[in-house]
Amino acid sequence: MLQKRRRLRAPAWVIGLAPLGVIVVLAGLFLAFNPIASLREVPPVEAVAVERTVFTEGGIELGIRNDGPDEVTVAQVLVNDAYRTYTISDQTLGRLDTATVSIPYPWDDGLPISIALVTSTGLTIPHEVEAATLTPEPNARTLGIYALLGLYIGVIPVVVGLFWLPALRRASHRWLGFYMAFTLGLLAFLLVDTVAEGLEFAAATAAALDGLLLFAISALTAVMGLVALGNGLRHTSDRGTGAPGQALGGLALAYLIAAGIGLHNLGEGLAVGAALAGGEVALGTFLVLGFAIHNTTEGLAIVAPLRTQTSRPSLWHLAALGAVAGAPTIAGAVAGGFILSPAWSAVAFGIAAGTIGQVIWTVGRSVGTAKGLTSGLGALGFVGGLVFMYTTGLLVA
Amino acid sequence: MRGLGAAGLAGGAGVLAGRGPAGAQELTVPGSAEHHTGSQAAISHGGMGTVGTVDHARNGFTPQQLLTEFDPGVVSKDASGRTVREYEFVAVNKDIEVAPGVFFPAWTYNNRVPGPSIRATEGDRIRIRFINGTEHRHTIHFHGIHSARMDGVPGAGEVGPGETFTYDFIAEPFGTHLYHCHSLPLTNHIHRGLYGAFIVDPKRGRPEANELIMVMNAFDTNFDGENEVYALNTVAFAYMNEPIPIRRGELQRAHVINVTEFDPLNSIHLHANFFNLYRTGTKLVPDEFTDIISMGQAERHMIEFTYDSPGRFMFHAHQTEFVELGWMSFFEVS
Repeated sequence: MLQKRRRLRAPAWVIGLAPLGVIVVLAGLFLAFNPIASLREVPPVEAVAVERTVFTEGGIELGIRNDGPDEVTVAQVLVNDAYRTYTISDQTLGRLDTATVSIPYPWDDGLPISIALVTSTGLTIPHEVEAATLTPEPNARTLGIYALLGLYIGVIPVVVGLFWLPALRRASHRWLGFYMAFTLGLLAFLLVDTVAEGLEFAAATAAALDGLLLFAISALTAVMGLVALGNGLRHTSDRGTGAPGQALGGLALAYLIAAGIGLHNLGEGLAVGAALAGGEVALGTFLVLGFAIHNTTEGLAIVAPLRTQTSRPSLWHLAALGAVAGAPTIAGAVAGGFILSPAWSAVAFGIAAGTIGQVIWTVGRSVGTAKGLTSGLGALGFVGGLVFMYTTGLLVA
Repeated sequence: MRGLGAAGLAGGAGVLAGRGPAGAQELTVPGSAEHHTGSQAAISHGGMGTVGTVDHARNGFTPQQLLTEFDPGVVSKDASGRTVREYEFVAVNKDIEVAPGVFFPAWTYNNRVPGPSIRATEGDRIRIRFINGTEHRHTIHFHGIHSARMDGVPGAGEVGPGETFTYDFIAEPFGTHLYHCHSLPLTNHIHRGLYGAFIVDPKRGRPEANELIMVMNAFDTNFDGENEVYALNTVAFAYMNEPIPIRRGELQRAHVINVTEFDPLNSIHLHANFFNLYRTGTKLVPDEFTDIISMGQAERHMIEFTYDSPGRFMFHAHQTEFVELGWMSFFEVS
């Protein structure tokens, strides 16, 4: 009986693949007869994105990507309206292919420069640089500088902020709602900031890669990942407290906030590193100090939930919280400094935005209305968090 | 929890590790990958110039041909003993390589830009059978003296797709002239390549010389109303990459014609020399002795000069932007 049924019925995987098979056959027929061929009797659509600009001693290097539907052949290179000799790793680029263009050129430090690629059809792909400046080479020294920068604007301020914990613990219970609301306000500011920056990178991404979708997918993936992680943590804390279904404990909440802030700081590091490498900002001492003050508040946000802990958290936990929230800045600064493509930056900012969104949700739910989040003091705290971040943000604007 | 912190750091380190080799690879690309590199001449100009070579065979004409070939037409005599020169011009669309690897969708007379260099003597009868092999209307408008019927403008000698018209007129006055399409929109019909030299010699002739045709033209390859390529006789840097060979002490006579669209002026400047300028070539004595002359569109002059010492001599537009966009040339004097 069983034998007979097997003979009659195809295995499940065959049935599962059948629609795919039909699609393949249809695609084959479409390619063979190409009913819309007559619609394509137009010149090729050539689009090339310049993803990376590197200024070396006496030369310029461009990382380019074909982000149009058709093949593109780079024929000549114009620099400031003059044909220049150049080399290219691959002259003809298929869809989404990348190539490196190297142009020996005596560029002027600090001056704008306009580069154009001339394709085989005579189309020009312009690329304007606001100010040419030597791109840092990835050697031990510059690596060290970027790492130090990350340390100053990320790790140190966050760790310093953590030392608000003793003061928090002494504050009266009445103020708890204020502090948590302050944290939420701060996170809300970071969310808006991260989304805005992420959308900027999404816009700079090669059109065919669709930076907006990269950003959105990364954000949603981060949200889902953290929901799963949050559930895992909740199970762990359930076992510890023996109170099933209870909201996240103070320490777990602190780590979640630290993770969200950490990912935001990864993005912040990327932005600062990229700006520094691209010569767009003169990153002065003032700017570094501004970031430091701005980010110190983040430490306060992390330790706020620990106010409810009955026992004092170990120094190990505090160090770990500082590392989770601050260290990604270092990685971000280095990655941004050595030219991450806009697409990857859009992904990084997407993850950061999703994480912060999820953290806001979790923190909001954990604190709940019972502890005065929606009270007058709570509302004041939330707005206070926003305003404080905005005000300190002015220092780096 | 400590584990999470460590993972965060390791993730950061992973980003670094991943970037390192990629960065290194990008730096080594110029040495390891296949390249196309410029000619020696281009490299010797401090990095200025185009990369690669133009396939002149595919274009169907060489820079040398455009420079030195005159078309006398099919010559016969009519009943009165007058010399008759007959030509057949066909308007053809053709992609022309105006810089290495850069193809311009040109409109041509007889598959070349500039079109054939008509050469006649004043008083000759010129008969040009014009066949339009394109999908647009075209004309041939001659700079010269002729009847309104033969002017080659919309309403007088304009030819629709597949149609034919014969221009018939007497070559006068003597001088360095040009012809071009006069269909509308005019900008497009001229800059797409429908122009050429029309040289009329004086009856009494001129001294023996090495004669050269120099059409200063330009191409708006991306159709944005500005030229991307400037040239002498169509191909950017053609005579920089392959200098024009001339003999020491020999009289050179160049017919310089400006057909540049979009820019109000073009010019020619000779290095280390001066030339006699015959404005529009309509006189037998020079108007001026100079080393540079600027021209508006359709202005053209005859210049005469001699190089007395051997060597490589530059000549180019003195709109320096045009120089670096292709209008740079050399004489190789031996």
